[in-house]
Amino acid sequence: MREKEDRFKNPYFSLKILLLAFFLLTPFLFRSFEILDVVLKIIIFSALVASYDVILGYTGIISLGHVLYFGIGSYFVGIFMGKLGWISYGHLALAFLISIVISGVLSVLIGLFSLRIRTIFFAMVTLAFMEFTFILSSQLRSITGGEDGISFKLPGILAIDFSYGKFLGVEFTGRLISYYLILLLSLLLFILMLRFVHSPVGRVLISIRDNEQRSIALGYRTYLFQVIASSFASCVAAVTGGCFAMWVCYVSPDSSLSVPIMLDVLLMVIVGGMGTIYGGIFGAAFLMITRAFLPKLQVLIASLLPGVPFAIRLSERWLFYFGLLFILIVYFFPKGVIGTAQEIISRKKAA
Amino acid sequence: MIAIFLLPILLISPKTYITLTISGLAMGMLLFLVSSGFSLIFGLMSVLNLAHGALFAWGAYLGFTAFSSIDKWTGWGGSSSIFTNMLIFLLSLVAAGIGVAILGVVTERLVIRPVYGSHLFQIFITVGAMIVMEELIRIIWGPNDEPMPVPINFIGSLDLFDVVVSKYPLIAIVIGLILYFIVFTILRTTRLGMIVRAGVENPEMVQVMGHNVYRYFTGVFAAGSALAAIGGGMWATFVKSINPAMGGEVIVFALIVAIIGGLGSMTGSVVGALMVGLSYNYVAYLIPKAALGITMLLLVVILLIRPTGLFPEGT
Repeated sequence: MREKEDRFKNPYFSLKILLLAFFLLTPFLFRSFEILDVVLKIIIFSALVASYDVILGYTGIISLGHVLYFGIGSYFVGIFMGKLGWISYGHLALAFLISIVISGVLSVLIGLFSLRIRTIFFAMVTLAFMEFTFILSSQLRSITGGEDGISFKLPGILAIDFSYGKFLGVEFTGRLISYYLILLLSLLLFILMLRFVHSPVGRVLISIRDNEQRSIALGYRTYLFQVIASSFASCVAAVTGGCFAMWVCYVSPDSSLSVPIMLDVLLMVIVGGMGTIYGGIFGAAFLMITRAFLPKLQVLIASLLPGVPFAIRLSERWLFYFGLLFILIVYFFPKGVIGTAQEIISRKKAA
Repeated sequence: MIAIFLLPILLISPKTYITLTISGLAMGMLLFLVSSGFSLIFGLMSVLNLAHGALFAWGAYLGFTAFSSIDKWTGWGGSSSIFTNMLIFLLSLVAAGIGVAILGVVTERLVIRPVYGSHLFQIFITVGAMIVMEELIRIIWGPNDEPMPVPINFIGSLDLFDVVVSKYPLIAIVIGLILYFIVFTILRTTRLGMIVRAGVENPEMVQVMGHNVYRYFTGVFAAGSALAAIGGGMWATFVKSINPAMGGEVIVFALIVAIIGGLGSMTGSVVGALMVGLSYNYVAYLIPKAALGITMLLLVVILLIRPTGLFPEGT
């Protein structure tokens, strides 16, 4: 009981409420679509990164193909809505459901034959599978639309051209309804993931991460727990992939299944911090906001240093700086921003 | 095992079979060059070097630059003499090898050494190194595809008893085999090779025996990088074009080959690479879209029946 009362005094709790309020009010605070777009992508990617964190930070195994499930989610929504033209709520839900089931089964299979040997094999095999699916999705033109991808419409009130009228001076369009739907879904995913990592299974996972030999000695079949965690995270990733496809109404190999997205997710996890779940929000926000402002920065550099092609080339290669940042963060803040902050706070509390 | 690779002859005419086999063997030898370094680095240092693909791309670009500048200076690449053609090709490969070996040493010292022992951070760090190296290529050489110059006598094909055989794959097979025997002999017969093989099995024990195992780590990393670079230069001549992202595609093949062959094993690498190269070429001819699928299938089957690869432990 006492814990429950304390909860309201906890600074983390009020921070979470503030964050949620911010996401809820974003459409009213900022009228421009660009900002709404960035905020929504932050929401989706923080859920994706959190699901990756369940594997990486809580289970301690390294997957390099997590985006594969994100892509599966996106592609099922895309194929159902666009290729097959089944534009209805039922089929949208069905697309989500099928992608969850397929992701779960696939990740169990991958886990079963690669985690059995050494966890490092898991990293290699997942990477190989993601590359394979990427090439598959760009080659099977008749199903996936190849490199061009599929653009599609959403049913009923989620469609872009749907409009309900004005509310508090903001037009209530299909976009806005999609925004709130995706926010709700992501919130549910977050709650689900927090439940998962704090459940008895999650506790075992943490024990495996910290000391696998000891967990084995305690009688846990660690390898089964790792498979459970990876398939759970894959299902979550499939849902986030579906949400992403719903928002951009488009799916292609480059936008939802490629190695660069995996690199983004890795960077977000590193920046945010592993084993924190919430770190994903910070990591995603950092990367998405930086990327949104990069074009403006490039224009600025081009105007400051005209006629220096090398400088312009340097400014165009933002990924280069992200790579450097990647290395530096691993050196100096291996726990990420949220992890480091948590450490400082707990150290202060102890003192 | 060999019987499986004779099986496609039932579906393909013998002449095509020989052509496919030769290009499969060439692809296999090129894959061997990339994956042997990758595999040895993992075996000895247990570092999953995801930057290996970027080193491969650097090799291709350095080879390209070396070839173009030597060619501009001497005109050897365009001359009709096969000897000067070979010379310029080998010189550019050596230049690429040396350049990337230096790059490899710098990477190992600066980037990877601080995180020995932690798989997680190694993967992050090598991913970061991969991004940086790939972007450096884009900054230095520009982001677009470049056509790779090929010596004149390497283009075209020979007519051996009515079977059309391209020239370059034959050269690639020969160079690959020579390199394999050099590496194999060094590992098998020299004292240095013995220490490295011992390190693959138990680095701590090598350290205890009074050898500075970290020095061997750096050396193996440099050698692996050089092999990857030579592979990159030869691969570029094979496909006649280079682009900054070429390493990303190859690293997946290298991973698969290394897992199939057994991590840390030279013979495993060469067998795995040949298996992947041959099966890829046969299937690409029969069912073009399933070519990568067969590679994945091979990986899954090997993992199921021999989880530690065909040749576990350092051989």
